[in-house]
Amino acid sequence: MLMTAMEFAQFPVLSAILFSTILALLVILFIPDDRPKLIKQVSLGFAAVGLVLCLYVYFAYDTQKGGLQFVERFLWVKSLGIYHFLAVDGINVPMLFLTAVVLFTGVLTMWELEKRVKEYFALTYLLVAGVYGVFMSMDLFFIFVWYDVSLFPMYPLIAIWGSTRKEYGAMKLTLYLLAGSALILPGILYLWAVAGGNTFDLFELQRIGFDVHVQRIAFLMLYLGFGILAGVWPFHTWSPVGHVAAPTAVSMIHAGVLMKLGAYGILRVGMTLCPDGLVYWADLMALLATVGIVYGAFVGLAQTDLKYVIGYSSVSHMGIVGLGLATMTVDGINGAVFQMFSHGVMTALFFSAVGYIYDKTHTKMIPDLGGLSKTMPKASAFFIIAAFCGIGVPCMSSFWAELLVFISAVKTYPIRGILAVSGLVVSALFMLRVVQKTFYGEKNPKWEHIPDVPLFLASPRIILVGILVFFGLFPRLILDVIQSAVIPFVNSL
Amino acid sequence: MMWFAKDPVLMAASACATLPFLAMAVILIFTRQHRRVSAAISLSAITMCLLSAVYLLMTLRHAPGPVQYQWAWIISSDMIIPFGFLLDRLSLLMLTIVAVIAFLVQVYSLGYMAGDPGFSRYYAFQSLFAWAMMTMVIAPGMLQLYIFWELVGLASYLLIGFYYEKWSASQAGKKAFVMTRLGDIGFFLGIIAVLLGFGDLGILSMNEAAQAHKIAPFVVTLSSLLIFCGVVGKSAQFPLLTWLPDAMEGPTPVSALLHSATMVAAGVYMMSRIFPFFAASPDAMAVALAIGTITMLLASTMAMVTHDIKQVWAYSTVSQLGFMVMALASGGYFAGVFHLTTHAGFKALLFLCSGIFIHEFHTNDMREIGRGGGRKLTIPMVCMTVGALALAGIFPLSGFFSKEAIMGVLAGNPNKIWLLAGLLGALMTAYYSFRLIFMILFPREQTHGAEAHGSHGHDDHGHEEGHHGATFWAMAWPVMILAGITLVLGFFQKELEHYLLGAGPALHGAEAHGEGAGHGLGHYVLLFSAVSLALGGIVWAWFEFGRKKATQEGFLRRYPKVEALFANRWYMDHFYRWLVDYVVYCGFTNLFTRNDRRVIDGGIDGICRFTVGSGRVASFLQSGMLQYNLVLMVAGAGALVLFFVL
Repeated sequence: MLMTAMEFAQFPVLSAILFSTILALLVILFIPDDRPKLIKQVSLGFAAVGLVLCLYVYFAYDTQKGGLQFVERFLWVKSLGIYHFLAVDGINVPMLFLTAVVLFTGVLTMWELEKRVKEYFALTYLLVAGVYGVFMSMDLFFIFVWYDVSLFPMYPLIAIWGSTRKEYGAMKLTLYLLAGSALILPGILYLWAVAGGNTFDLFELQRIGFDVHVQRIAFLMLYLGFGILAGVWPFHTWSPVGHVAAPTAVSMIHAGVLMKLGAYGILRVGMTLCPDGLVYWADLMALLATVGIVYGAFVGLAQTDLKYVIGYSSVSHMGIVGLGLATMTVDGINGAVFQMFSHGVMTALFFSAVGYIYDKTHTKMIPDLGGLSKTMPKASAFFIIAAFCGIGVPCMSSFWAELLVFISAVKTYPIRGILAVSGLVVSALFMLRVVQKTFYGEKNPKWEHIPDVPLFLASPRIILVGILVFFGLFPRLILDVIQSAVIPFVNSL
Repeated sequence: MMWFAKDPVLMAASACATLPFLAMAVILIFTRQHRRVSAAISLSAITMCLLSAVYLLMTLRHAPGPVQYQWAWIISSDMIIPFGFLLDRLSLLMLTIVAVIAFLVQVYSLGYMAGDPGFSRYYAFQSLFAWAMMTMVIAPGMLQLYIFWELVGLASYLLIGFYYEKWSASQAGKKAFVMTRLGDIGFFLGIIAVLLGFGDLGILSMNEAAQAHKIAPFVVTLSSLLIFCGVVGKSAQFPLLTWLPDAMEGPTPVSALLHSATMVAAGVYMMSRIFPFFAASPDAMAVALAIGTITMLLASTMAMVTHDIKQVWAYSTVSQLGFMVMALASGGYFAGVFHLTTHAGFKALLFLCSGIFIHEFHTNDMREIGRGGGRKLTIPMVCMTVGALALAGIFPLSGFFSKEAIMGVLAGNPNKIWLLAGLLGALMTAYYSFRLIFMILFPREQTHGAEAHGSHGHDDHGHEEGHHGATFWAMAWPVMILAGITLVLGFFQKELEHYLLGAGPALHGAEAHGEGAGHGLGHYVLLFSAVSLALGGIVWAWFEFGRKKATQEGFLRRYPKVEALFANRWYMDHFYRWLVDYVVYCGFTNLFTRNDRRVIDGGIDGICRFTVGSGRVASFLQSGMLQYNLVLMVAGAGALVLFFVL
């Protein structure tokens, strides 16, 4: 079957991406329990389909034209004004790509899973369906619904397949995130009600233009609600605990993609609908973000568990996203979205690298490890590369993101910007300290028997490193896409 | 691809900016197991770069103005960060220096690193280093310069910590990275200051605008000072100088590269790159002059007491960098760049010679090298003496000419204290370099137990090929070539000066000022005093270390407190240790971690416990026992009655 580009453009690609994950979920449920290999192959197959479709969207998206593309919109519930409204612009195109990549590499990372394989992959696909749903919906009702769909599977995923205080971590994470959605829902309903209660369409609501006071209240609710998921200080403590407890690929999806849902929500819902609210609260946002950047790095210095270290580095890096959003400038928001993408790939790489080490050594305590580079140089190299990316070494994609955010932050909020930039020293110190203690030093006889990672198991990390370096060398390939949405967005503020 | 072939200049420049990177990628991904192939890839890349650099230098030698190529690397709103090449006299000179030294070091490493298990990795990182440095040198804008500046830092982190199984090596790499990062924060903020105050980060436009006073003086001073922080970090100036002596934990050829043409040279190069911009701010120049002088003197004192051969050269690098900063900060553009050039040659020479000794005797301790028969290795011994003479500033070696140029500039400064400091530095330089030479040449029997200081030895390199095997000659040839360069380079001073200063009136102006004071009678007095001080230093070293009856202890042995001060690097490391341990770890980290556990988590857990607890109370009330329900009903009714009645 050969389709020309034009025909393909009318093909509902976004729905195909979204419903392929649900189809994957159903197919996996119908495979018998005793065929774990087949389950994994099917999962990988569907992940590959999603990746190809997302790549297609990425490259087919016309940055010259900009705006919403691949639009699918029809009325779903007339009385309430709920639309089936899927579309992409420059902000969510990279997010879809990120989700597909992390899902694909996450499935590969869990290739050696043995415990309750079927349930695990089914729940993963449910989680990812929710994530895709949020990233492509332009209807508030569906954004909220998919958002909650993505939160629900986290509890069983952590509580069953997790480690290290898994019940506590799972419960804490779930409660925090539900508290967040308990703020989001009234925020959304409030805006919907004020607008007359006949549309959930994001852009129709945007055209209405809310009263300043309404915006201030609604923005705060949305910011805090989504901000909890984005790990905004001081609502961040669920994130390290949850990441530590979660199994490898769940940490990858969670830190890599789910935390971005929060930042995306602030940008897509909060900042789009309540620009005046944003102006009012931007000072606070910048402050919390700066505190998060510096604070996360300092707390990371004291951690002895590899996954905690990554968890706190996420707090610090998500602070950069928040700071970028708070600047309300093109550069800042460009940087923030770019950082969302880069941080997603980077943490996925981090957790994937730690996952292999944990699988083989059964520990992720830094003092027990040490000298790993001698026994498994390749497996260690992936973590070290991720650490360089976390430090902000140039020619890795997160460098550009941080550069843009910091430049505009120093412009907009000089003191906070300088503080955030100084945080770079601390983050360098804490990353290099972890690298040194875990991978350098004399060969540790305890781990001498461990084989280095074989090519197939290393493949997810190779893909992730490739993406980081590729966009580090050719940042325009992603920045032009992002910018095509950010410039009109900032002009409309 | 046609446009590419049409412009050989562009092709040569792109070769320098891409080939070593590709070499690194290929080595790391494909040829880690094949050491010979790795070395061949890396060497052919750097050879191509060397040829390109020489070609560019020859072609554009008489070019009227700079040649510039730029492409947009990223575009964000109205900010365009270009990637490109700026080929002018300064960058081409530096490009050639980097390519020559990197090439020689890579050839030398064939011998030095033979048999090392990390051979392929070593060549990959060498390529990374060369790539980062060369692309930094030809950067047309400050941001590209900053980006590759950071990559130079990354490469040196990887190479300093090359023997990562050794704790001290990984520690040294980390220290180098974090300390230079500290300076880079200032650099980065300085760039932002230029961006906000001027709006264009192109090096040429920045320089022009600052000279024409188109930028507010406040902005120039502020950003110059901030950018100078980067120089302080990278070029190991006071107070961020202690990472460099530790950096010798890396393999010796790495030290040679690090100390001569790359890492530390990056700072001074950047300062001369935007020299007209700096020169527009007298305040920033004054600060830089003071810092350069302090660095130069402090490092010289440290070099006078150590027995580690590489450490002596490391301290001497710091102090020579201090000289360069002093020269630039007094307006001596040519003197600074000239000293950078000659120093690159003789410092690489000194380190590579030391490397041969270390490779041979498996120790860094100069006394043990002497006792082991260091002087029997004729080629390195002679070459090292040549290098030491150049370092001390003795005619007719290259160091003499560049140091004279610097003294000339310093003499032009109305405040003579800088000149006096410079002369004192020259005296100490001669003293400590010949202290080392004499200790190796005239070894003494072990009188007082040689401390375990010399156990910095290296892992076995498995070199059992003897002195005259290919291994030895791979190391000896680069050394002899460098010695030759050191011998003749000084006589090209006039040509170099003409070449460099043909560039722009801004550079001329500053130079004329320095030179005007240098000519005439004063010039000869200065020349005489500088040379006699250097000779005096050598004689002094001879008196204490060379002659038959010398104790080889040095006069500082008589002042143990002073000696301890110098040996402990003026307690700067103690201060940093204290800062990291008490302020960072026990201070902020501890505070924030406790806050996380006790306040935030404690608070949330408290709320949860309260919720669960109140649930219990409610379920207790709903216990279904009739008495309680009755009691509650009565109490409720009573409350209602009270409410309505009152």
